[in-house]
Amino acid sequence: MTMISLPVADPGTPDARSPIRYLWWVARVQKWPLLVGIGLAILWWLAQALVPAALGRAIDALADGRTNVLVEWSAAIFGLGVIQAVTGVLRHRFAVLTWLGASYRTVQVTTRQATRLGATLPKRLSTGEVVSVGNSDIAHIGNAMEILLRGTGAFVAVATVTVILLSTSPPLGLVVLIGVPLMVGAVGPLLRPLHNRQHAQRDLQGDLATRASDIVGGLRVLRGIGGEELFSARYREESQKVRRAGVRVASVESALEGAQILLPGVLIAAVTWLGAHFALDGRISPGQLVAFYAYAAFLIAPLRTLTEAADRVTKGHVAARRVCRILSLDPEIQGGTATLPADAASDVLRDGESGVTVRPGRLTALVTAVPEEAAAITDRLGRYAPGEVTLGGVSLDELPIDEVRRHILVADNAARLFTGRLRDELDVRGTATDDDVRLALHAACADDIVESLPDGLDAHVAEAGREFSGGQQQRLRLARALAADPDVLVLIEPTSAVDAHTEARIADRIGAARAGRTTLVCTTSPLVLDRADLVLFVEDGKVRAEGAHRELLQAEPGYSATVTRGEG
Amino acid sequence: MASRILPVADRAQVRAYARRLTLKYPKELGLALSLHALAAISGLASPRLLGELVQAVADGSGDVHVDTIALAIAGFVVVQAVLVRLAVYASSRLGEKVLAELREDFVDQVLALPLSTVERAGSGDLITRTSRDVDALSRSVRHAVPETLIAVVTCVFALGALLLVGPVMAVPSLVAVPVLWISTRWYLKRARDGYLRENAAYADMTEGLSETVEGARTVEALGIQKRRHQRTDGDIARSFAAERYTLGLRTVWFPSVEIGYVIPVVATLLLGGLFHAEGWVSLAQVTAATLYVQQLIDPLDRVLSWMDELQVGGASMARLLGVVNVPDDRVAGGARPDGEELKATGVTYAYREGHNVLHGIDLDVRAGERLAMVGPSGAGKSTLGRLLAGIHGPGTGSVTVGGVELVELPLDDLRGHVALVTQEHHVFRGTLRDNVLIGRPDATDDDVRRALEAVDAWDWAEALDEGLDTIVGSGGEAVSPAQAQQLALARLVLADPHTLVLDEATSLIDPRAARHLERSLAAVLDGRTVIAIAHRLYTAHDADRVAVVEDGRVSELGSHDELVAAGGAYAALWDSWHGKGR
Repeated sequence: MTMISLPVADPGTPDARSPIRYLWWVARVQKWPLLVGIGLAILWWLAQALVPAALGRAIDALADGRTNVLVEWSAAIFGLGVIQAVTGVLRHRFAVLTWLGASYRTVQVTTRQATRLGATLPKRLSTGEVVSVGNSDIAHIGNAMEILLRGTGAFVAVATVTVILLSTSPPLGLVVLIGVPLMVGAVGPLLRPLHNRQHAQRDLQGDLATRASDIVGGLRVLRGIGGEELFSARYREESQKVRRAGVRVASVESALEGAQILLPGVLIAAVTWLGAHFALDGRISPGQLVAFYAYAAFLIAPLRTLTEAADRVTKGHVAARRVCRILSLDPEIQGGTATLPADAASDVLRDGESGVTVRPGRLTALVTAVPEEAAAITDRLGRYAPGEVTLGGVSLDELPIDEVRRHILVADNAARLFTGRLRDELDVRGTATDDDVRLALHAACADDIVESLPDGLDAHVAEAGREFSGGQQQRLRLARALAADPDVLVLIEPTSAVDAHTEARIADRIGAARAGRTTLVCTTSPLVLDRADLVLFVEDGKVRAEGAHRELLQAEPGYSATVTRGEG
Repeated sequence: MASRILPVADRAQVRAYARRLTLKYPKELGLALSLHALAAISGLASPRLLGELVQAVADGSGDVHVDTIALAIAGFVVVQAVLVRLAVYASSRLGEKVLAELREDFVDQVLALPLSTVERAGSGDLITRTSRDVDALSRSVRHAVPETLIAVVTCVFALGALLLVGPVMAVPSLVAVPVLWISTRWYLKRARDGYLRENAAYADMTEGLSETVEGARTVEALGIQKRRHQRTDGDIARSFAAERYTLGLRTVWFPSVEIGYVIPVVATLLLGGLFHAEGWVSLAQVTAATLYVQQLIDPLDRVLSWMDELQVGGASMARLLGVVNVPDDRVAGGARPDGEELKATGVTYAYREGHNVLHGIDLDVRAGERLAMVGPSGAGKSTLGRLLAGIHGPGTGSVTVGGVELVELPLDDLRGHVALVTQEHHVFRGTLRDNVLIGRPDATDDDVRRALEAVDAWDWAEALDEGLDTIVGSGGEAVSPAQAQQLALARLVLADPHTLVLDEATSLIDPRAARHLERSLAAVLDGRTVIAIAHRLYTAHDADRVAVVEDGRVSELGSHDELVAAGGAYAALWDSWHGKGR
């Protein structure tokens, strides 16, 4: 059979005005698989619903000794079994397809929204909030779609059985039809304590898992200086708490299991007793008695599905609400529509508020008395925050954001390394040649990192580059920024986590690597400052002095205090 | 990177362990199993009784007989419900007990991992084992194992009941055995890898999303929105391919087993009818047999559907047990060190064979001396630091303290002589006090305060709302990386070994504050040997001697003043730092 291929190239524009509208949108964009799946689910349930009736007829034929009728009804049961098997698996395929379609599309639109929000995202949303979309919400939204199939089918099955039972024997039919929902509902009071205890157990188990990863995360420390017994004892203590919580869950769970046997069982016994008397009176046949017995047992399944449907749709709604909240945000900084004149990008970049002026084609260093000032200035220069900044005389707020980002790259230490092939992660714009990458690595003193990797540039970077040390990550980030080769590069403390030898080498090489390009380095390292073409010193938000590092050391007491603090 | 160096247990080991665990509590196990068996037996009464009822109706026997049978059906239902309640509770209790023991054993084994393995393995694999594998095993022990057990017990008794009804009535069901057997074998052979791939692909997809979210600002800065979209779409495509594979497996298996379930019902009915016509069996027998066969479907289906979960559980158990198989990295000798002098002689070391990172290092560290190691990254400073701390043994040559090889000291003794602090900054979940106490669990609050003061951390620690009782670490009060480094140092101050190896232990602390910290630390550690892998030049300046490490060799060694006077690489660097010459 043919199968739709996922993901879709363009997930489309979601309707995020409300959770219901979002779910409706997800359903609408895959209406065909959904409708076909619903049709199959109905057939699947019907095939199951008709089995008891056929079984009853077969038993009657058996009792009456009509062998050819028995063969016919046996064939019918087999036929229903085959239909059930075929529609069952087809329904399952469409169910999986709609489940995946819904979750994949939600991941796609959330990813696209995250990249649209960019720097705004961390300010407006906690990462946990967005990440939970990937961890649980997509599954809930998928479940809500999937249950549409089974739920609709279950509804039709219940209706069909109702008709069959009432037309066979109205009083017995009524007993079954009233009794089964009552029995399904009667376990309800057990569900709340069960969910509460399960919840408590999950929380404790979450704590225990955190404790375990805490031990693993700090294992170097524990194995290095001790404390194993202490941590082992604590883990044991929490593990026993989880065990006790598990036993508490089991006590309700086992009661529920018992109830799920008792309640339908009692009903079945009642139906059988009543049915047997009806059969004795000749109001129904022995076969129909068996059929009633089987129906009372069968009806539990579709009714549970309907209860499950209510639960899944509710959870899907909650998940969709979270997705909608994310989707309805807009980036804080909006771009203009002006175009930048051809040579403006290689012209002066100037922050009006502080007076910081970055000369074209030079390596400028920025020293601020407190680190927060540097962050505020670079946020304005990179247009992450509003300000009066001009590039080549053009105000940044008149330019589209993409344009600003293309010309001005602000590289800070919070920047993230992404998973992937190292070569690709270093050349993010995809424009650098192998030589460019090599040069960037050399300038950032990161060649030794690549050499130590068995696969070199083809090595796989793990999540957030966590397998690299802090200093290695910093050098790789620097190499990445250099390889991107923007017109204006703003580096924030690019050497704070490397040793003095390496720092000196990097400082020597950055100038060469950025020859003819505009570069601003925020740093307090004398090794780097000494190699800058020009140093700007900012105090209280304004440029206080500028000149060469050594001139400022002599002339500006505030500067030398900042740079050589504690140097004695 | 070497993230997969931890071993995995083999099948025999897993089986032996599972057997040991299962048989460890024979009473509890016996109780649970007998309760399940009794519950299964009482569940089998209804079809038999219904068969008799149908017979009674067909024979037109009296009301009293019918009432008795109906009452008996109700009675057995009540008994079964009670037994199931007790059985499920008993087996869950046992399951929880075994599960707790399993994970506690595992954590103890993790806590006993050799130092060198811990340093080298990285935490990725171990974290996966503690989280994903423990979870998978919990699912197995909580659900798959008992459900399978119950279902098997039920199946056995249902078959027994069928045989009791009339051995001849069990024959038709045999038709289904080959269908179920072949299709399930085919499915299980492929299912485990398929589902593992599916889960991995799904995890990649959600990881990709969180990466995009956490790096949203970087994505905007670098203009890599398209790449992130492609990454997500690529992940989805891989996830879909994996889903499609398992869906393909189920497309074959599901209908096969469903047909396999319906065949016995039809065959029993049909053949039973023929036997009945021949007068070999009664109507009651046919009805009861048909209902028994139908009743077999549910437990059989459960056994089959838990199979792959059991496989996954077994694989997880193999990874958890594998941790035991890490060989110990040191054989303690009997010799005790005489003095605290640390001495490296002709030391070489290679992480990969044939790629020496240290080439014949000789270094004597005098007791009570402060030695700074400087040099470009990749020169081998950290490796040398780890050898001097006794974490790895040298490839050739020797590292001794007081004349005894470090790797021949029992771990507890080693810790008393030398300890290493790296730039890693893990904060444990717990109170601030607990985080420091790791160094010496019996220390008083005064000791803790003095240790924190020594690393300039007392001011901020005291300013916290609950002082030393403040909960820090994951989920607690946020502690900056710089503060975390201070805590690591405070721990070491409290542990008070004779020799401290500090590998860029202050690198995350603002350079303006780091020097003050180092000086106050030096005052507290007076008389102790300190080997500092230096990040900033003032560390070298303040040390007694400086070793310049370049390309796996000690190229310069002497006091700061001597090296500056010698005019070598160190002198050039120092001048540059101070803005003199070039």
